[in-house]
Amino acid sequence: MFPIPFRIPRLKLLLSACLSLLLCFGFAAPAWAFCGFYVAKADTKLYNQASQVAIARDGDRTVLTMANDFQGDVQDFAMVVPVPTVLEEGQVHVGDPSIIERLDSFSAPRLVEYFDDDPCEPNRRFDQDALESRAVFSAPPMPQQLSAQKLGVTVESQFTVGEYDILILSAKESSGLATWLKQNGYKLPRGANALLRPYIRQKLKFFVAKVNLEEFDNSGFQNLRPLQIAYESPRFMLPIRLGMMNADSDQDLMIYLMSPQGRVELTNYRTVEIPSDEEVPVFVKNEFENFYTSMFDRTHEKEGRRVAFLEYAWNMAGCDPCSANPLTPEELRQAGVFWTQSSDRSGNIGPGRTPNRRVFKNNVFLTRLHVRYRRDKFPEDLMFQETGNQQFFQGRYVLRHPFKGEAKCAAGNRYRREVVQRQEQEAQTLASLTGWNLDEIRRKLPKVEVNASSWWDGLWKKSVEQSSDAAKREAAGGWWRSLWQ
Amino acid sequence: MANFETWMPRLIAPGAWLGQDARDWQIAFLSMFLLLGLTTRAWTLSPEVVGGAIATSLLTQYLCQTLSSLASNRVAKTSFNWRSPLITALGLSLLLRVDSVGTMAIAAIAAISSKFLLRWNTPGSASTPPKHFFNPANFGIITALLLTADARISPGQWGAEFWYGALFLALGGLVLRRVGRWDTTVAFLVSYAGLEAGRNLWLGWTGDVLLHRLSSGSLLLFALFMVTDPRSIPNHSGARMLWAGAIALLTFILRNVYFQSDAVFWALFILAPLTPLLDWLFPKDRFEWHLPRLSSVEVSS
Repeated sequence: MFPIPFRIPRLKLLLSACLSLLLCFGFAAPAWAFCGFYVAKADTKLYNQASQVAIARDGDRTVLTMANDFQGDVQDFAMVVPVPTVLEEGQVHVGDPSIIERLDSFSAPRLVEYFDDDPCEPNRRFDQDALESRAVFSAPPMPQQLSAQKLGVTVESQFTVGEYDILILSAKESSGLATWLKQNGYKLPRGANALLRPYIRQKLKFFVAKVNLEEFDNSGFQNLRPLQIAYESPRFMLPIRLGMMNADSDQDLMIYLMSPQGRVELTNYRTVEIPSDEEVPVFVKNEFENFYTSMFDRTHEKEGRRVAFLEYAWNMAGCDPCSANPLTPEELRQAGVFWTQSSDRSGNIGPGRTPNRRVFKNNVFLTRLHVRYRRDKFPEDLMFQETGNQQFFQGRYVLRHPFKGEAKCAAGNRYRREVVQRQEQEAQTLASLTGWNLDEIRRKLPKVEVNASSWWDGLWKKSVEQSSDAAKREAAGGWWRSLWQ
Repeated sequence: MANFETWMPRLIAPGAWLGQDARDWQIAFLSMFLLLGLTTRAWTLSPEVVGGAIATSLLTQYLCQTLSSLASNRVAKTSFNWRSPLITALGLSLLLRVDSVGTMAIAAIAAISSKFLLRWNTPGSASTPPKHFFNPANFGIITALLLTADARISPGQWGAEFWYGALFLALGGLVLRRVGRWDTTVAFLVSYAGLEAGRNLWLGWTGDVLLHRLSSGSLLLFALFMVTDPRSIPNHSGARMLWAGAIALLTFILRNVYFQSDAVFWALFILAPLTPLLDWLFPKDRFEWHLPRLSSVEVSS
């Protein structure tokens, strides 16, 4: 007989005939290029560069946070995001702008420094892990007309949240929706019609947001804050197709995925770990951003431009080394993590709730995916799945500073030779990772003085004092002098 | 050199290296895919997991075979069948992702023991041993998905590159031609592609979306090496077509209505019990691996 399944929810999900057809798609302004096109009120020149999205998901419940780095005049800002159901006012929230920055800095690829010990004093150990820098990515009132009904467009609800006026629309035909949006002053990119159709046919509602100038002025904020929406849907995906209408070039999307289970991966594209734990020359410290972007470009190219890169996967409870402090429970809540709320937030364990259960529910595993997509290589929207894989991963690059003291002993000479070899290896690693010119890299390497040595150097053992004397004499010149003493 | 005339033609003839049993080919190709995945796709698959899968499968087969022989008093006539459990272990390693050897062992034990525990005797053919109806690797995968927290299918692990698809098709075709189950793959792929094409057309997506959905390496591996297992699928060719079409339809529904990324494995699992029914409705001689077919002593693989 077939064993009784322990993971009932999955089976339930599968066999349940009454699962609703919930979908989430989005398309929006440049800052949100992942899910859409910009619909400007004026002919503002805009272009898509990079977007950042945070998704907190447990079961079918999802909180989507869309960072807003819109640079133009706020009155030109408008966005359209298809949503699975008619969203009520309570399902939409204006988030804290610092949350995405916190997620970014916590999970960013990092540079780690180690300082070599004095080779003449091997017992004195002090490894100093110093986190120097991290890659910083530039993250990338509505009039209604009589024709709405004729066009097959229904205004399901409308409300104001923070500085945004929100409209929830449903549509029967893409041409109707496009006409309605145009009539109401939204500027649609060419080709929007054809791309709206698949989403309308899947019976989506459309979340339309624009800035309420009065509220914006009252809010006192300089920039637009991120919008957050909460919905329940078995479908775990991000629409990127619509976002590619604004630009033919590559677009970068940073996705911060939070789950109580483990890593999140793509199911319809390969998810590849970014090269990590590589030792690179110390001068990279001053040009880490340049290094990381070059390495990313090259790796992206090597993988045929059709994969998503994993840049970070770690439990939120800790980090090693930390590029920023882990998010506090309050910050996690602001980022959309809702499952930790089920336990008592004051720390008390309620009746019937065991401590282990509480710990489990407080688990937040963060996955950072970096997708660089283009129309020809990413034809389909991004589909994700949660996995139980709790393996940690981080983009980590190591600098090893040579010992700067005199190191006059025999071991010191050997050490210097090793440093030269190591530097050569680091230069080659850097060249292969970034595609930079190897000779130019070599020119940038710090010079290490190494005396010529012979195979017989280590044959006749000398005391440490003798070795130090020998080192002095070596410095005075004559490769043979240390031999005949 | 005396036997030159004997071995030279064997050396040149295709298939001479791998013998007459189609499973030898299958083992060679699956090993090759595994190696390809490990080297070019950078899978996080440890040798312990692959070793664990192979060892557990072989051991379970040995134990089950021994027990089964004892029960039916056929001890002397049964030789150890190592090919089938090896194929199952390779299939599990290719398709199932786990974080611990224990999880893989659960999958392997479930896979192999399902062949001995879940089988069915076709009415009117009392002379032949009962036939198992779950594909062992599929049964192992679903068991691990249900019972453990770390087992998963990674449908995106191969990417959607054309040459992988071509390679799978070519090599899978080679095995299937020897087994004679090409029709199942064709029926499955044609029905599934047809359904996806219809949906694509209705939604208004461009052709490259369809192509991307169909060129998934995991889907092709399934179509060529799992849904075609001649020992567990219906014997009658018409029944097989019907059955493969039903799997394609269920996969389509699970994927597009219930958003299951591993839909294809669930579809096969759910519809596998239809095999006895179809064998009863459409009677036909069952498949045996060895070319000079053994009659009654062959223990189910």
